[in-house]
Amino acid sequence: MSQLKERYKLTRSQKMMVFILSMSLYGLSNMITELVPEFYLGPLEFSIEYFAFIPITLAILFHPLYAAIGASLGEVIFGEIMLGQFGGFGELEKFIAFSLAIYIAGSLVRNPKNKMQVGIAAMTAVVVHQFISMMVDIGKVWIGVEELEAVPGLAESVVVIEGFYFLNDIFFSGILFALLPTLYLVPRLYGKIEPLLGMKPRDNNMQYDTGDIVTPKLLLSAVVLASAAFFFEFLSETDFNFEWELAFAEENQNLLIWGSMGVAALIAIITITWILNRKNKQQMEPEERIAR
Amino acid sequence: MDYARKLFDKLSVEQVKIELLNTAYGNGNTFLARLDPRTMFIWYLFFGLVPWFIHDEILLAGMLLFMIVTTIMARVSPLIIFILCLGLLGQGGYLLIVSFLFGGDLTVMMPLILLTIKVSIISLASITVFCSMDPEKLSDGLLKIGLPGQVSFSIAYGYRMLPSLIEEYHHVFLSFRLRGKAPEKHGIFYYRSIIYFVKIAMLSFYPLLLSTAKRSRTTVEALETRGSLYAFNHPKVKAIKLQHLKIEWRDYGFLAFSILYMTFVFMIARMY
Repeated sequence: MSQLKERYKLTRSQKMMVFILSMSLYGLSNMITELVPEFYLGPLEFSIEYFAFIPITLAILFHPLYAAIGASLGEVIFGEIMLGQFGGFGELEKFIAFSLAIYIAGSLVRNPKNKMQVGIAAMTAVVVHQFISMMVDIGKVWIGVEELEAVPGLAESVVVIEGFYFLNDIFFSGILFALLPTLYLVPRLYGKIEPLLGMKPRDNNMQYDTGDIVTPKLLLSAVVLASAAFFFEFLSETDFNFEWELAFAEENQNLLIWGSMGVAALIAIITITWILNRKNKQQMEPEERIAR
Repeated sequence: MDYARKLFDKLSVEQVKIELLNTAYGNGNTFLARLDPRTMFIWYLFFGLVPWFIHDEILLAGMLLFMIVTTIMARVSPLIIFILCLGLLGQGGYLLIVSFLFGGDLTVMMPLILLTIKVSIISLASITVFCSMDPEKLSDGLLKIGLPGQVSFSIAYGYRMLPSLIEEYHHVFLSFRLRGKAPEKHGIFYYRSIIYFVKIAMLSFYPLLLSTAKRSRTTVEALETRGSLYAFNHPKVKAIKLQHLKIEWRDYGFLAFSILYMTFVFMIARMY
């Protein structure tokens, strides 16, 4: 009995299995959705954004963290690198947002047989992901355009367009490609797919610790994301951004340019020294091991 | 049916495989392809981030010019450039139209053009860097800058497994079509056929989930037997694997030229 009450644990190779499964399947689906054309009806976009049901299903059935990271990596590798569309830093943002969304969805479900929980989890995943990407897109225009408030209509239009896409994605992709297929797949796969990976199905007795779900990392990232959201909200309410730019930028444009150049150089130098340090450390390690 | 058939002709399995190999290994002998991945990462660190914080027209124009030259040097396939241009124009145009609705006028144009230039600089930089590296080089580079071994394994695994995965998916898809019944009428805008195909596309993942689960178990067991899970992040294994990466005069030259060019552009921007 005591074994049953132990929290849900996977061995290292089982984690790797979940990771590979999630990566290859979501990667494959990503390649398919990248190749299928989009349909526009005016501003309405009827595209298959993503087959979100695959990672959500896997995160509900297995360990959410490994399913989430695997899916995000699969998207980057199959959908971007292999199609020659790898976008560098942009991928980082997608990676974080998507992993977070899937992880939250997977941790929400206590009992995979409960349709209510599964449905809520599926919609949560889409809402979290789309909300983060909306915030990032708005932020890009905010940072990218100088004196945004001074340009009539631009700020509102950005928010309206992104908000519209947000709702469009939630109602279209969210229901059709996340909610319905997840509700179909989870009960069918539950108890069937786990033995193939050599593990027991998740059940009510093998729950996660609450402490496992509400990790400091999750809390921290949630707080950071929420504060970022509020920050942009705040900027739109006040003219703080715009006034600062005007008072400062006029005379000190050169200073600003050299300042940003300096910051960039600083980042580069820090990175290089960090790489070099790490290299030295790595070279040290084997010797230390021998010494021990 | 016609539209759907055309779509699936375009998606023929062989075509996809050929296209993949082309994007991966198509341009291995350009100058940029011979640079060390770390050089490219450092270069990208600057050109991928800094444009966001620059609001000077001349500076941005100079950077854009440089990016265009490097993109030409990298011999990027025209298709990718075309997709990029389409995306940029689409986004800019949308913003312009909607901001007119909110009482904007032609003054909106200038910031929008600047924004578009910024986005294109960043996109061209990433295209230059990541299209001129073949997958092995990219995964070695990522390993070198400290990403876990699982990532570079996954890239290799993806390239190895994808063709058979696509084939398997295709087979499942075709068998669903064989056993199922296609809608008799297409409906307005072919909506019945589209719904039918999308539904099959999703249903096909059910058998695939089970078979891929088996396959990933086999893969991990094979990895275990060879001790790969242990070797992924072992420093000695890494050192042997990354022996061939060396920063040469070519890399220093490229970085030095970039710095010189940027200083030159900064000087010009400062004069005006």
